[in-house]
Amino acid sequence: MLGDYATIGIFLLLTILFPLAALGLAWVVRPKPLPDEEKLTTYECGVDTQGRTWVRFRVNYFLYALVFLAFDIETIFLFPWAVRFKALGLFAFVEMLVFIAILLTGLWYAWKEGALEWY
Amino acid sequence: MNYSLLAPEILATAVGMLVLILGLIFKDRARQSVGIISLLSLVAVLILVILRFTDTQVFFNGIYQVDTYANFFKALFALAAVLVILNSSQYMERFGNKKSEFYALMMFATVGMMVMASAGDLLTIYIGLELMTVSFYILTAYLLEDETSSEAGLKYLILGAISSAVLLFGMSLVFALSGTTVITQIAGQISREPALIAGVILIAAGFAFKIAAVPFHMWAPDIYQGAPTPITTYLAVGSKAAGFAALLRIFIFAIPLTQFNWSLVLAILAALTMVVGNLIALTQTNVKRMLAYSSIAQAGYILAGLAAANQYGLKGVLFYAMLYVFSNTGAFAVATAVEVNTGSTDRDAFNALGQRSPMLAAVMTICLLSLAGIPPMAGFAGKFYLFSGAIQAGYLWLAFIGLLMSMISVYYYLLVAKAMYIGSNPQTGAMTVKAPARLALWVCLLATILIGVYPALLSNWAQTAISIFM
Amino acid sequence: MIGFTHYLILSTILFGIGMYGVLSKRNAVAVLMSVEIMLNAVNINFVAISRFINSEPGVGQLFAIFVIVVAAAEVAVGLALIITIYKQKKSVNLDDFDLLKW
Repeated sequence: MLGDYATIGIFLLLTILFPLAALGLAWVVRPKPLPDEEKLTTYECGVDTQGRTWVRFRVNYFLYALVFLAFDIETIFLFPWAVRFKALGLFAFVEMLVFIAILLTGLWYAWKEGALEWY
Repeated sequence: MNYSLLAPEILATAVGMLVLILGLIFKDRARQSVGIISLLSLVAVLILVILRFTDTQVFFNGIYQVDTYANFFKALFALAAVLVILNSSQYMERFGNKKSEFYALMMFATVGMMVMASAGDLLTIYIGLELMTVSFYILTAYLLEDETSSEAGLKYLILGAISSAVLLFGMSLVFALSGTTVITQIAGQISREPALIAGVILIAAGFAFKIAAVPFHMWAPDIYQGAPTPITTYLAVGSKAAGFAALLRIFIFAIPLTQFNWSLVLAILAALTMVVGNLIALTQTNVKRMLAYSSIAQAGYILAGLAAANQYGLKGVLFYAMLYVFSNTGAFAVATAVEVNTGSTDRDAFNALGQRSPMLAAVMTICLLSLAGIPPMAGFAGKFYLFSGAIQAGYLWLAFIGLLMSMISVYYYLLVAKAMYIGSNPQTGAMTVKAPARLALWVCLLATILIGVYPALLSNWAQTAISIFM
Repeated sequence: MIGFTHYLILSTILFGIGMYGVLSKRNAVAVLMSVEIMLNAVNINFVAISRFINSEPGVGQLFAIFVIVVAAAEVAVGLALIITIYKQKKSVNLDDFDLLKW
């Protein structure tokens, strides 16, 4: 009973130790110059951020996300079908075509209704 | 396997998609035709189902069953959808330019109900249920500019999702104990134990929400009032019947009432629903809301038949569900007409309707009397079956409460009739009723009287349908 | 040995957390998230059943897949409704939606 949890405990310990070891090793071997101003900015390389983080997004982003969510999840049905493709045969293939056709109708609808417009 | 028996479902789904696509291609020009196409296809579904009423077939190892019982309910849903679409012609201006979607969602909701009626597996029941309710979430919030409509939609969605989760948890417990999800095989695998009781209670709670039985009824009045009136009609009539269709299958095949003695629980639920629904309806002044509470009470009457679970009781359930389509749709159709013409569904808006539009007032009176169970309307015959079933099963007290509550219900139904015939109204002149809605009104009126005068017609049909349980 | 009971306990606790969230949160989006937790608790149940009870392997997993898909559809509709309602009321607090009361 407890033996099962011991495995989990060992894994937990390992997962904690591993990044610590990597970080520690890097700290040991890296050069250590004194930090200058450039070094202390949030993004050392890349563009400086503008404005605050809590800005409003256009509502169209949500529509995008909704359309993506729907299609992303519906494709889950393709996985079990693909795994058993040979055993299921032609009938399931036709069924899957019908399913994809229905999905495409949905995509077409979203397109026509302007959910994919990018302003 | 004879796949042609799936034709009603396939037809309805295909037409739903077609209507959606037509709306995309032709935009406004398709406005009239999409309605006619959906209407015709629903009539075709009705005819298909009636023609092949006694053809039975089990599909896919029992997960989908086409039998007389399922066909009875499919006919009911198609009929209700036809009446609702006819009636919604009154409401079309308020839907703006989103018309093809309305018909498509109506078709999808109908398909969901049909799947529920035919489901032979817990998974199929769940999918049918969700197809129906997700369509209804959107339809409830269909008046996008109307704040009450969106509010009702969101409330329905949140509460509906919770009830689905509860139902699913119950299903998972029953699945765990029986090791199967096929309804007819569950009964042989389970025995009475605490986990099963928990599972059954959760399933019962989930379905009690869908049929709006007390104490899971709180959503109904809000959503019924906020939704567009044709959708309210379909919610009250179709969604409720679909809930009962699946509930009957589960509680008679999977978890037999007789074997596990659940029927007392259902009887108490039925009694509570009748009492609370009728008593709160007494105090309502808005007719739409009054009808919502009355439809809660009607669910109580039907539950009494299920609690009895004998031949009379089950026949009563099917009989009542069918006549309820006509009576309730008639009443809601009149409410729609009044709402469209006066902008309100308060009881005051019905004042002097008897002088303004005698036809509307007559339909309303007949339908309300039928709901109250006054002979010779259809409701009397339905309640007769339900309560005699309850008495036969030894629930004399339940039948007594039912009769008492029916008498109380006459009071608030007659208040509307009083307003229509005795009330005075500064506004005069007939209300405009579009031709399709007029047809729906006539059908409801004639069917309510016909079933009441000659109940054998429908009762034989219901008898054949429940033969699968006997 | 970690058995079926452990999974049942885990899923029941998750279900309870979800139910608590639904009843206590006032933000509509948070309520939808709580509903998702409830549905995922059910999924754990189904997958555990197909692993341990195992009379027809796969049925439980299939059930879980369907629950995931339906939940996604439900959430998509829910978020769309919240956007609509936010446009009207500039709020997603459920206490502000009080036009309909019994």
